[in-house]
Amino acid sequence: METIFQLIAIIAITVGTFFSIVGVLGMVRLPDVYARLHATGKVGVFGVVLLLVAAVVWTPLGWARALLLIALLMVAGPVVAHALSSAAYRIGIPMKRPVRNDLEQK
Amino acid sequence: MIYVWPVAVLTLIYLVLTSNFTLNNIVAGMVVAVIVLLLFRPQSGNLAWKRLPTAVLASIKYIIRLMVDLLVSGIQVARIVLSPSMPINPGIIAIPTRCESDLSRALSAHAITLTPGEMVVEISEDGIMYTHMLDVTDADEHVREAQEMRETMLKKIFE
Repeated sequence: METIFQLIAIIAITVGTFFSIVGVLGMVRLPDVYARLHATGKVGVFGVVLLLVAAVVWTPLGWARALLLIALLMVAGPVVAHALSSAAYRIGIPMKRPVRNDLEQK
Repeated sequence: MIYVWPVAVLTLIYLVLTSNFTLNNIVAGMVVAVIVLLLFRPQSGNLAWKRLPTAVLASIKYIIRLMVDLLVSGIQVARIVLSPSMPINPGIIAIPTRCESDLSRALSAHAITLTPGEMVVEISEDGIMYTHMLDVTDADEHVREAQEMRETMLKKIFE
């Protein structure tokens, strides 16, 4: 049982770290504010959630706190992305090479 | 009377966060919960006890769905970020919503943001959500389908 938990934790840490790195890479590589928020708002949250999953199965003490944090992060991540993108659009930051923009025609 | 449940839930969260289940701490948690509720004044929706089981089941299903969406969207964005040619066709498309209340609209927008490659930028007065997508080619059909499914789930929770 102990070994299985350790295995799960190791996998979660590895994958979580990978996705956190991808989040940072996306922040650098993607072209504009809106696309970058996809990387930070979702992939970044996903990475942290996986690290917390590792904390849940690894440490016996902090599991309730970690579950609560996962729930709060899943609520907060998209809301932050939404708020930032909305603010960016309102002050008129343009998209780079948009294929289509329904909001413009409104 | 309607404040009993919120107080209980908030107290439980406080206890979990402090991980200290002595009587002192329980009382302290209740005091904090009451203060928080006094500050925020939740709107008292009429809670229908009869359909509580369906609502709870639907909520659990919805949360699992959100988890899966988060996973898929993480993998999808990772693939885009890591590919050398960066295959994106960004754009903003309009997604109509049938949700009436503010809360279900907000939840719907939240769910859209968690689905792969979509992020709500703006919501208009009549409930149209302008969504930024990393790939807008033939997005319409796919989006409408997913939207239908999510709204049926939200309807089950709220009505």
